[in-house]
Amino acid sequence: MSLDISVQFKKGALELCVLVLIHEHDRYGYELAQSVSQHIEVAEGALYPLLRRLVGEGYCTTYLQESSEGPPRKYYKLTPEGESYMRKLVVEWKQFVKSVSNLIERGSRL
Amino acid sequence: MNKSEFLAQLHDHLSVLPPEERQELMEDYEAHFTFALQNGKTEEEIAMELGNPAELAKEAIDGRFSAKEPVYWFNPNAVPEPTGPPIASAARPGRSGFASAMVYTGLFFLNMVAVPLLISLWMLGVSLATAAAGMLLSPVSLGLEYLVGNSVLPAKNYAVLVLMGLGILLALASKPVFKWLIRISKSYWTWNVQTAHGGNKA
Repeated sequence: MSLDISVQFKKGALELCVLVLIHEHDRYGYELAQSVSQHIEVAEGALYPLLRRLVGEGYCTTYLQESSEGPPRKYYKLTPEGESYMRKLVVEWKQFVKSVSNLIERGSRL
Repeated sequence: MNKSEFLAQLHDHLSVLPPEERQELMEDYEAHFTFALQNGKTEEEIAMELGNPAELAKEAIDGRFSAKEPVYWFNPNAVPEPTGPPIASAARPGRSGFASAMVYTGLFFLNMVAVPLLISLWMLGVSLATAAAGMLLSPVSLGLEYLVGNSVLPAKNYAVLVLMGLGILLALASKPVFKWLIRISKSYWTWNVQTAHGGNKA
């Protein structure tokens, strides 16, 4: 079941990564998929349900922008609530990583 | 899997969603295909990178019904743990007197066998190292023998060469052996301490 854990793990990290990436600047779905997969190996398709959820929770809004090539792009923009949610998640992520690192370090000293 | 197969499977699996929601998601994936095809990827590559349609659909449906469910590490009530010795913070209720007595008794009997076993393992390690030292020192003893005045025997010279070679190899082998001995002794000791302290603060 270790694979399952890894999947859960990435799913959790994906939300944070997406929020941070949108916070950097507004991005459209495919752009996000590319940026995320540069950093973590994840099923890119999982992005779209996640983005829908973020919009549903009021953390993101979307707007369409025409592009010279191809179909119009659906851009995602962070709302003020989304930004404070992201900051909260970042703090918790750091705390989480620190705790796990401490624990691993303790384990290796046994 | 190509684009139309992927989208058809996804469409099927999303059938529980309200039509407009399903349509929006389908448009997201169709747009993804369009952008990725523009970037020179094949439909098969794109479908593979997107993932399994059944799982993606499940995610979309689950995410919808548990929208407010926090991410797994996110716990709003979590108090940041003090960074002191982490074991101490995990204060579990202590054992009863009877249980502790039993644990100590069990450890005592276990150690009656385990400690001599450990010691004998250490003895094996020591003898390995001693053998290595003896072999490495064999030229010295041969030299001493010649000093005392025994006649030079070519066979002995060759034997010393062989012993030297073996000695070097054994000496090399004894390093990991000692490392391993130290490790198992340490972890056995730690385990003992942990078991003895059990629920009480370590």
